[in-house]
Amino acid sequence: MSFINNNWWLVPLIITIFSGILCPAMGTVLITHKRLLQVNLISHCVLPGLALALALGIHPSIGGVISGLLGSVIAESLTNRKSENYEAVMNTILAGMLGFGVLIIPLLGIRIDLEAVLFGDLLTANFGDLLRTIIAFLVFILLMTFGYEKVVYVGLDPEGASASGINVSLLNLALSFTTALVIVSSMSAVGVILVIALLSTPTLLGLNKAHSLRIAMMRSSFFGLCISLLGFILSLVFNLSPGPAISVICVASLLIPKLRK
Amino acid sequence: MATLVAENLTFAYAKKSKPVLNKVSVEIKPGTLTALVGPNGAGKSTLLRILQGQNTPDKGEIKIDGENLYRSRALVALMPQRSSMNWKFPITVEKLVSLGQIKYSKSRSNNPFQIKTLLAYPNSWINKCCELEATMQRVGIASLANRRLDSLSGGQQQRALLAKTLMSPAKIFLLDEPCAALDPPAKEDFLKIVRQLADAGLSLLVSSHDWGDSLNNYDQVIVLDKSVLAVGSPDQIQDKLEAINISSINENNFCD
Repeated sequence: MSFINNNWWLVPLIITIFSGILCPAMGTVLITHKRLLQVNLISHCVLPGLALALALGIHPSIGGVISGLLGSVIAESLTNRKSENYEAVMNTILAGMLGFGVLIIPLLGIRIDLEAVLFGDLLTANFGDLLRTIIAFLVFILLMTFGYEKVVYVGLDPEGASASGINVSLLNLALSFTTALVIVSSMSAVGVILVIALLSTPTLLGLNKAHSLRIAMMRSSFFGLCISLLGFILSLVFNLSPGPAISVICVASLLIPKLRK
Repeated sequence: MATLVAENLTFAYAKKSKPVLNKVSVEIKPGTLTALVGPNGAGKSTLLRILQGQNTPDKGEIKIDGENLYRSRALVALMPQRSSMNWKFPITVEKLVSLGQIKYSKSRSNNPFQIKTLLAYPNSWINKCCELEATMQRVGIASLANRRLDSLSGGQQQRALLAKTLMSPAKIFLLDEPCAALDPPAKEDFLKIVRQLADAGLSLLVSSHDWGDSLNNYDQVIVLDKSVLAVGSPDQIQDKLEAINISSINENNFCD
């Protein structure tokens, strides 16, 4: 314990490693299922849950996951991807939930470091943050262990999967729940807004020519780990904020395929 | 071998809306290739989904060899429309085809790749692997097994999707517009394969916009536009449509 206390960077480093692996793997599933807009929605819907949980004396992560999931369920009940209004409805709920969160913070008389929630504060991360990341990691591993085939089938052919007896709605709910967990767990590393970069950019690199979802996830996680570690090191060396540093490296890494050509 | 009989099927998507299908009756006999033709919005895809058990009709009943569809739903397989597939998904042809082995069952014991089943019946795994290879050969995609799905042509993708559908334990296969967006040679190839499958004893119902010469490949043609307008062999159909004088009206609505 004293070793960890003397090495304050150790917990943030472990969180960086876990988030760097987990977010891109989750992102690969979501991008192949064409659910990236939902990530954006869930990440914005987390705030009111955090505020309410703090006011009620519950752990903020629990409130964040519940409100993220709730936002996703509301959106799915109001629209579906085939609807031409899909994007408009999703963005309306996204903005509305974020606005609701900002509104209730002063009304509930609580104090939240909004900057840390939205953009992360990795260097001050503690054991609680690490535990949250590990729980999200384990839930994702469980989903992939017991539902990999179903995740592949639903992502490829939702109608065929439904005809084969797979409960597509339940699987989508499980995906939304895991997404909400991953977003809340990444709060300390990159924040609930900047997590989108870590969910999507490494996936764009990892998906290229991958012959299976599993391979794509492993490649994305590798790129995500490299990006996260680089961001972490740069933020230590140059005294930068790690979340934004990781996001900027994500953008820069989009140039890799161009350089290869 | 199985016979599907549907009688007086009526279906509307909402309670107060107009029925999409009105008193539709069809019969699919074993070893036959049946075309289901009709204009856009005629209810072809809806009928196929009902015959597969994904939608429940408001009225009417469906029986397979005299037994209610919902007891023998595994005997009917549906190949969805091209547009419902995510062709960019990272998957090989072989993996796609193997997904067809996931049966309609809540029970996991039917899956030959379960460890328990593997230990109890080691041959089941070998049989399934052989079946996979044989099915891919049957539709002419064995050489493409390790290719990524999005690297195939439209015709090859449709054949891969057909192979996946054929991997199910079903006896009756419903194909929803399998030739849509295919060029004429690819379409001809696909229809040849489907004909061979019917000749080998499978029952196939193929929906199509096509109102051309390719209908001659079929044993039976059903013309649908909310209700069944005509049923019979390709030659009989032309006569019947002329007799009821609707051929020219609907022909204009058909698109190929």
